[in-house]
Amino acid sequence: MMSQRLAEAYYGFKCDQDGKGAILSYSGFVSESILFSLGETLRRRVEHEDSDQNHTKRLFSVFVEQVQNVIRYSAEQLPPRNPQETPLGSGLIVVGMEEQAFFVVCANTITLQQKEQLEARLTALAAMDKDALRAVYRKKLKEPPEEGSLGASLGLIEVARRSSRPIEFDFLDLQEERFFFCLKVFV
Amino acid sequence: MTRQPTPLAIAAGERSPRVLFDAGKGTLHISGESYPEDAAAFFGPILCALQEQLNEAGPPLQVDLELVYFNSSSAKALMNIFQILESAAARGRQIAINWHYHPDDDTMEEFGQDFAEDFKHADFRVVPRE
Repeated sequence: MMSQRLAEAYYGFKCDQDGKGAILSYSGFVSESILFSLGETLRRRVEHEDSDQNHTKRLFSVFVEQVQNVIRYSAEQLPPRNPQETPLGSGLIVVGMEEQAFFVVCANTITLQQKEQLEARLTALAAMDKDALRAVYRKKLKEPPEEGSLGASLGLIEVARRSSRPIEFDFLDLQEERFFFCLKVFV
Repeated sequence: MTRQPTPLAIAAGERSPRVLFDAGKGTLHISGESYPEDAAAFFGPILCALQEQLNEAGPPLQVDLELVYFNSSSAKALMNIFQILESAAARGRQIAINWHYHPDDDTMEEFGQDFAEDFKHADFRVVPRE
């Protein structure tokens, strides 16, 4: 009896993910080595059914930038134990397929200050066409990084450049100046 | 007699490019994929070596880049390398850079074209691979 309910519960969990089109999903603390392994898995999975190298590379690029943003900017961080380690950031990663198009969703907790910055930045990027994005990428590339940024402004522009539709983003208020930030990008 | 500097050689990693900088011969090669954990740490020694060697008069430098993918942090590091190369060329050093890309690779071709616009003194060429 017990084992049946157990399987049922997790089958429901799995079906829920499948229903959202997920071909890969991860929730929890993300490290650079998880990024690498998930990225390798993703490439194998996609190359299997998509022979267009350019498409695979765009998807991979969006994946890398988004996951690095979770690692670096999630408000839930696990500090390194020694100088060789990099910090871990907690979040959610879903790569999936919807209406024959690949998407990458990344989500993580952020502070109110991050929310305000991101909202302004992403609203501006979502309204730009490919030429404008290319120009703003070139401009940012030559500028020193912004305050509190490890290069995220460039990463988000890269994400927007590779997306096939306008980027979608949303914030859920978690109270006490915390927000659940979600970014969905079709490639 | 001038002392020949030891070449800087970094083998390709799972997510970092192969690098070979031979200041004596005047060659710099960077090839492969680049999305290292810490791009600043990976490219730091290359930037230092370039800065050191290009400060003094020396032979022409031939740079060949054959990248297939790089993330935005690596793009920043590449830009730093290019700024060092361009300012050395502006001071009179002869510098030629070839940006090699696979003819089907739209992204790398576009990056090459964009980088090319930043050079006035160094000779930057965007070259499709055979």
